[in-house]
Amino acid sequence: MAIELIHPGNFDQPRSDVLTTQAIARVTPAVSIAHLGAMWRHLGDASGKAAADRKLPKGLDAAWDAGLGAVYAFMPRTRRYLHRAQRIVAISDTLQTVSDARLRQELVELRVAFRLNRQRSSDVDRAMALVRETAQRQLGQRPYPVQVAAALALYDGCLIEMATGEGKTLTATLPAVLAGWRGRGCHVITVNDYLAARDAQNMGPLYRFCNVSVAAIQADMPPVQRRQAYRADITYCTNKEVTADHLRDRLILGRQRGLVAALSAQLAGGDPRVESLVMRGLERAIIDEADSILIDEAVTPLIISGEAPNAELVEAYQQAATLAGDFEAARHYTVNHKYREVRLTNAGRGHLRQRGAAMGGVWAGARRAEELVTQAITARELFLPGKQYVVREGKVVIVDEFTGRLMPDRTWRDGLHQAVEARELLDVTPMKDTLARISFQRFFRSYRTLCGMTGTGREATMELWRVYHLPVAVMPTHRPCIRRHLGTRVFADAASRWGAIVQDVRQMHQHGRPVLIGTRSVAASERLSELLGHEGMPHQVLNAVRHEEEANIIAQAGQRGTITVATNMAGRGTDIRLGRGVAELGGLHVIAAEPNESHRIDRQLFGRAARQGDPGSAILYMSLDDEILRRYAPPLASAALLPRHGAAGGELHRPLLRRIIRWAQARAGRMARGQRAAVLRNDDWLEEFLGFAGAEE
Amino acid sequence: MATDRPTFHESWHRVADLRPTLRGAVQIGRQERRGRVWHVVQDPSGHQFFQLGAEGYFFVGLLDGKRRVGEVWALCNQKLGDAAPTQGEVIQLLGQLYAGNLLASDLPPDAQGLFERYRKRVRKEVRGYLLNVLFARIPLWDPNDFLDRWVRVAGWVFTKVGLVLWCLLLAVAGYFLVGRWGQLFAAADPQTMLNPDNLLWLYVAMVLIKAMHELGHGFAAKHFGQLGHTGGDVHTIGIMLLVFVPVPYVDASSAWLLRSRWQRAVVGAAGMYVELAVAAVAAIIWAQTSNTSSSLGTAVHALAYNMMFIAGISTILFNGNPLLRYDGYYILSDLLEIPNLSQRGKDQLHYLVRRWIFGVRQAKEIARSMSERFWLLLYAVTSGIYRVFISIVILWYVADKFFLLGAIFAVVTLVGWLVIPAGKFVHYLLTSPELLRTRGRAVLATAVTLTVIVVGVGLVPVPDRARAEGIVQPVMRSELYMPADGFVDAVLPSGTTVQADDGVLIEAHNPLLTAREKELAARLEEASLRLRAARAKEQAEAQTLEKQVRGLEQQLAQVSAQRASLHVRSPLTGQWIAPDVDRLPGAYVRRGERLGVVADMSNLVVKVITDQTLGPRVAPEVGMDGVVEMRVKGRPDLAWNGRIIRIAPAGQQSLPSAALATVAGGSTPVDLQQRDDVRALEPMFEVQVQPTAATSDRPAVLYPEQRVIVRFSMPPRPLGAQLWRMLRQAIQRRFQVGDLHATPRS
Repeated sequence: MAIELIHPGNFDQPRSDVLTTQAIARVTPAVSIAHLGAMWRHLGDASGKAAADRKLPKGLDAAWDAGLGAVYAFMPRTRRYLHRAQRIVAISDTLQTVSDARLRQELVELRVAFRLNRQRSSDVDRAMALVRETAQRQLGQRPYPVQVAAALALYDGCLIEMATGEGKTLTATLPAVLAGWRGRGCHVITVNDYLAARDAQNMGPLYRFCNVSVAAIQADMPPVQRRQAYRADITYCTNKEVTADHLRDRLILGRQRGLVAALSAQLAGGDPRVESLVMRGLERAIIDEADSILIDEAVTPLIISGEAPNAELVEAYQQAATLAGDFEAARHYTVNHKYREVRLTNAGRGHLRQRGAAMGGVWAGARRAEELVTQAITARELFLPGKQYVVREGKVVIVDEFTGRLMPDRTWRDGLHQAVEARELLDVTPMKDTLARISFQRFFRSYRTLCGMTGTGREATMELWRVYHLPVAVMPTHRPCIRRHLGTRVFADAASRWGAIVQDVRQMHQHGRPVLIGTRSVAASERLSELLGHEGMPHQVLNAVRHEEEANIIAQAGQRGTITVATNMAGRGTDIRLGRGVAELGGLHVIAAEPNESHRIDRQLFGRAARQGDPGSAILYMSLDDEILRRYAPPLASAALLPRHGAAGGELHRPLLRRIIRWAQARAGRMARGQRAAVLRNDDWLEEFLGFAGAEE
Repeated sequence: MATDRPTFHESWHRVADLRPTLRGAVQIGRQERRGRVWHVVQDPSGHQFFQLGAEGYFFVGLLDGKRRVGEVWALCNQKLGDAAPTQGEVIQLLGQLYAGNLLASDLPPDAQGLFERYRKRVRKEVRGYLLNVLFARIPLWDPNDFLDRWVRVAGWVFTKVGLVLWCLLLAVAGYFLVGRWGQLFAAADPQTMLNPDNLLWLYVAMVLIKAMHELGHGFAAKHFGQLGHTGGDVHTIGIMLLVFVPVPYVDASSAWLLRSRWQRAVVGAAGMYVELAVAAVAAIIWAQTSNTSSSLGTAVHALAYNMMFIAGISTILFNGNPLLRYDGYYILSDLLEIPNLSQRGKDQLHYLVRRWIFGVRQAKEIARSMSERFWLLLYAVTSGIYRVFISIVILWYVADKFFLLGAIFAVVTLVGWLVIPAGKFVHYLLTSPELLRTRGRAVLATAVTLTVIVVGVGLVPVPDRARAEGIVQPVMRSELYMPADGFVDAVLPSGTTVQADDGVLIEAHNPLLTAREKELAARLEEASLRLRAARAKEQAEAQTLEKQVRGLEQQLAQVSAQRASLHVRSPLTGQWIAPDVDRLPGAYVRRGERLGVVADMSNLVVKVITDQTLGPRVAPEVGMDGVVEMRVKGRPDLAWNGRIIRIAPAGQQSLPSAALATVAGGSTPVDLQQRDDVRALEPMFEVQVQPTAATSDRPAVLYPEQRVIVRFSMPPRPLGAQLWRMLRQAIQRRFQVGDLHATPRS
């Protein structure tokens, strides 16, 4: 079996990435009573209230919900949490003299209250204070009042916005400990395995002191270990792993879902299936980088697939790639770049019929043939090496367009991957059969309590409320932020933009300031790397493939004189600490080489500079042929931009341009939001229609 | 992928391993419609029908509970090639079949989903009731067993023999009716129809007839169902509150399974078929009984008359009308071979808007052929307009009878037909995923349409006109009366133009006057002679005689003048109008009798009676010297222009001419209590208009006392403002808001 992740793309044109894992061996070791108990609860939830809640409200209900959201989600709550945090800090300061043993005992006492779910508000405050003190003793880090306030908000089920570098990892431990005490599991979701392992490792002493067990899920873990990890009070894992495990459990349960079915099976003499489940329910999740998981990747469906070898079809893809060579743009097909789709014209169809008739087999029928050829043409026209994918070691590796990350073990779905492989003249991997499927959006809606942390979340307040019922709390920085924003520089074309960036880098480099350049795509990062190499400037290139290595590199990116070229998401979750003397030089300089589809992502990148009161600066470069403008700028605005200043290569000074970027970003956001809502609705619709086939989750 | 029917579906894995099959009790009928084969699938409880195309049927037919869906799909692909259903289509098909409880599967039932669907259906039904209070349905009885038992007896009605007999019956009835044509409509006076004594009978008759109508459907469905071995189950008879009048209805939808469209059409027409037969029988009875026989005879006569009308007229008006969703509609849809005509018509309309106005590329056309396109569109448009029209009529009627109820229904109807669809549309416009790419265009198109409507109705001034009735009268006119008794000798023909004091209009003589004149003349001569003689003799006598002579002279002059006045002359220049003058010659006419009128035709005035709503608007909005148009009442081809020369400053109740009163054929209601004077019920405002020029092609002359319709053109104003004013006026008038006058109902 394999896990497949479908990448968020256009609604009509979903692309998928497949993540392959080894087949799961049926595991039958003894299962603890506690594990089973939690599981029964879980099964009960799946069929009961939670299922009804999971549907998006419709009609007037939706209006009411939106109205409620407008009031509740936007309610100012930060100050309340900060006040409470002050009280907790005060309590915590009195604990400094208490002995370890005494501290431990108090923690145990509180733990009982939490396990019985009899905690009062004062208990929560006291617990937070105790954990804060424990953190100081075990980790040497004492959460700031801001972090305590954020922890309170998380505990209450909010999504908190905290600036980069404010210590989100530490913040998460406070609510995690409290949730761990409850004994029903708490998943701390991180963006990659490396971070999961690292955080579980680093925060381990704190947890152990607080009497909660902690574990991390890794991609290559066998099921037995996975189950043990999920049995821990706190489990660090990636969104992908936890979702995949959920799906695998679903597959094991088969169509006999829900509490009643499982119970009756159990009564009928112990159902081995129940015992081979890995997870024990979705009680609470604390999501790091919540905006990227809950919004950007929300509609990415995760698919578990099985092999379905079909030699005929493999050949068909190769034939299609050859056949597509005959088709001419405009005459045989049209390409819509805005919506990224290819359509055959009538002439194209006729041409295909002619050719197909001669070939026979799959090609005899018009519909399949059309699909295959359209796919082949799409692969040729819209999927560009370096942008949508790269070829590594004879394999097509997908690049996440949103973040520029490489996704080494994913494939596109519906044969698109095969079409791209055929186009690159690689071995075509056989198409796989879907066994189970769920989108992150739906998956995370299944948690009983959800909370999250992000560097940038306020832009999505309304959507977070609508989909997840998550209110957003924006936390202030511990120290005032002194990042200088150097604005936006606009160039007529890409070449002049790159030139200007290189110049900027050189200037900074001469001063000894570290520079971080964020690019949108792997291709762009490679191009810049080439330019920098030309200029003889030493630099590091990251494209978010090997997380651990990159985390180390990025941790060094604040050293004097370093130049780091990274795709946006590279090395996330790792602080860039300034090297010695760098602060005096002006701190880290962050260059965004191209505006992203969402201003949120731009802000995330900028947030890397000037963390925790350090100095720093950020600047955005763009050119008129950037994708965001081409795809989302209003046609009229593009026309207005056409009369460029003088010859190509110049820098443009037009205040209007910045407006247009914002406009395009807003539009891109709107469209993406619409797509996500459509996917969710479509899921609801399918749920209703496929009721007979058993519930999906 | 930009493919219209993508082969694969992302949720395929959820159904691929299932082994479903149709439930055992499901019935399937095969039909050929518009050259395509369809299979109609009925669920066991008989409430829902699904139709499957040949490919869908092929697929469903292969589902035997042993094969997996995936295998069946592969088989279909092998067998049908491009026509095979795609994975998405299969999912949709299975989902629909399952939702209709037509599918048995190897899975434990999805109890929650079942309840969810049930709740949804109930909610939908309740909402349907609330929004459609004017057409609510209440099921009462399951007539299936009854029909089964009696269909052998009643079924022959729908055979060819039955049809021939039916035709004969109608012919006989027609024969009798032709013979008593005059009586037929003389009796149709609503006064006798709605006689309270009759009302109960009328209602009983109606219920009886409608029950027979429904049984007609039931028997027909049963008859043909058994003939075609589709069962023809009829499980519901109930009562429909048609604008609060309970009428029976029957659910004969099992006719959907019938193979021949003619049979289906006959099932639809069976109700009317039976009703017309009843009407024919009633007509014969009516013709054979008389009003004047025994009291029983009278009752039978009246009842037969009523039944004839209910069964005959209501059938044709209500049931036969394909624009309402009654029998006629189903017959039409069967004959056109377009099931769900109404819904699909609407969908086709939506499709056209979505595809061509909103630019939704993936919109699927409903119609499958050019002719279907035509029919769907035609039906959608006409039935839409008709529905709006009929509901306004019904609302108006209900509101007229019960003000509060009417207001409530108006609100409910408004919500159901305007607010909710508008809300849905806005929701669609803002959130529908299919508009993802063209939302801008869709919103723009909607906005433009709305703007056009708003500007058109609310801002663009259109001519605002009002009509009122007036009467033509000359400004200068003189009524001539017989100055003295006399025999008319000669008359000037009516219509002759006469000059003042010139020529004789009527020449008459009075022998008595002539004789008296002669006598007086003779006596005067005698007296004169005696005076002359007396003067010579005695002074005193002469003085007496002198007085006598003077007296005689005076008398003579008087009589002479009287006699002269029998030559009637016109006092003014104008036209001599005396319609009855031709019968005068030779007649003895007493003094003071009206002879005719001499009117100055070159100087006519039209006195227009404007009511309260119009009168006060004339002065400010048209004003003195304002130009109006006039047409002769009954001769709209004769037209004049006119100029307002006088506007009465205050209202009055006396009419310038009795001809304007309703009793005389005019349009102004008058107070019938006032015997001597013609007084309008409501104050009137008189406006005098001077005709300026004839505007019609043919030469035309205005005649005094002619009734004309005068059209005032107010300053143009937006249609919306005009409609709003009219509505307010109408409501005010209808509901007597602040008016104590009761309009007499005749």
